[in-house]
Amino acid sequence: MSDRFFRIVRILVESFPKLLLQCLKITIPLTVLSFFFGLILALILALVQVAEIKGLKQFARFYVWIFRGTPLMLQLFIIFYGLPSFGIYFNGFVAAVIAFSLNLAAYNSEIIRSAIQAVPIGQSEAGYMIGLNYFQVMTRIVLPQAARIAFPPLFSSLIGMTKDTSLASSITVIEMMSVAKRIAAVYYEPFWMYMETGFIYLMICTLLTKLQADFERNLEWKQPEEVKEAMAAVEADNRAHKFRWRDPGGKK
Amino acid sequence: MLAVKNIHKSFGSNQVLKGIDFEVNEGEVIAVIGSSGSGKTTLLRCMAFLEQADDGIFTFDDLSKDIRTISRKEIKEIRMKMGFVFQNFNLFRNKTALQNVMEGLTVARKMSADKAEAISREMLQKVGMSDRANYYPDQLSGGQQQRVAIARALATSPEVILFDEPTSALDPELTGEVLEVMIKLAREGTTMVVVTHEMEFARNVADRVIFMENGVVVEEGPAKEILSNPKEEATRRFLRRILREEEKEQ
Repeated sequence: MSDRFFRIVRILVESFPKLLLQCLKITIPLTVLSFFFGLILALILALVQVAEIKGLKQFARFYVWIFRGTPLMLQLFIIFYGLPSFGIYFNGFVAAVIAFSLNLAAYNSEIIRSAIQAVPIGQSEAGYMIGLNYFQVMTRIVLPQAARIAFPPLFSSLIGMTKDTSLASSITVIEMMSVAKRIAAVYYEPFWMYMETGFIYLMICTLLTKLQADFERNLEWKQPEEVKEAMAAVEADNRAHKFRWRDPGGKK
Repeated sequence: MLAVKNIHKSFGSNQVLKGIDFEVNEGEVIAVIGSSGSGKTTLLRCMAFLEQADDGIFTFDDLSKDIRTISRKEIKEIRMKMGFVFQNFNLFRNKTALQNVMEGLTVARKMSADKAEAISREMLQKVGMSDRANYYPDQLSGGQQQRVAIARALATSPEVILFDEPTSALDPELTGEVLEVMIKLAREGTTMVVVTHEMEFARNVADRVIFMENGVVVEEGPAKEILSNPKEEATRRFLRRILREEEKEQ
């Protein structure tokens, strides 16, 4: 029994740097690249819809319909295994970045579109009435406010992406999940290996969540000192009364 | 200076404006009154092209155009000479009070930041909001926000300012500070068109009152005359009702 225990500990300790290395080398770059391209494409898809550009708007709807309506795994397979029959070859990593970017763009464009539409129409009207044009109203008034609304769901999407990169193992990309599979097969300790891998994913997402909280704090519009102090006091008060969503009136 | 002729506007099958003629002279303060749904806000929004009217002639200074053929460029030029104050303020939420006032100067009119800031601070001073220049709209009360909004409309020195029920969204105790600013502007000779429910303001400040009902102008004339001695039965009915409500509030 204790032999088994030490064996598992040894496997876990030995495999940990291997997993972490693959995470840094593949999983994180894959996530960052995919999210970056996915975000740019999403912004374009959202803007052509909001601006109601004929043709492009319909294309964007069609695009979202296709990429939200089919499995991510299938999109990966089509790009990696399917396209070669038309003479288009990508290596696994590139294919994964393409598939993830295209897929993310569909979801993120919906987040951005709804965020833009959540900015009250009166904000644009006020912009036009002081003489701004459409471009100025969008870049100076609407998009900065939409960014703030879109930020939390976009971050959720990023966290989701981090874990979805494990699907790339199915198209020969040696990312963290593939390494875990191999080690698990060699030592025949799948339970502990996958637990360990899960732990690393969890750590990354914990870090991202922390990052999100910090960013959100910075997204607050800059405030004069006296207001900041007052807000801090309110926040402290809120912390003191934990279950704030309860009806505050009355006694228990 | 500003005139509209035969303005028609429908939302679907609901005809909101049924041929409105309306003229504003320089230095004049006009109060547009009437019950909810009479079309007065729509009229004001059509004059600022925030709604596209279905038919009518629009005249501003030496420009006179069929409202259906007016170009985007012409609309922008008109808006450059026009101020608009909204019922719910519509201050830019991502900008401070000062930045709100400056925006039209620096961005739309390409004024240098220094000059724009000087003008903007002066305008904030005028509406009594100097000490809140660096506050964001969320940190201001409704009355304060509306005063900043008025400063924003004033900053670009428009030829006319349109007010769309500027005190309707405010708590009763906050309407006073906004009306005070508006009275001050009127005294300085600002040309104003004010859609309002404040009969006191109409009576004491407006040069001319326009009473609307069901999408038409029922009666118009000097404020004192219309409010104390209306000719039309509809106007009398409306004034009686308003008076009763005001008494109830007190």
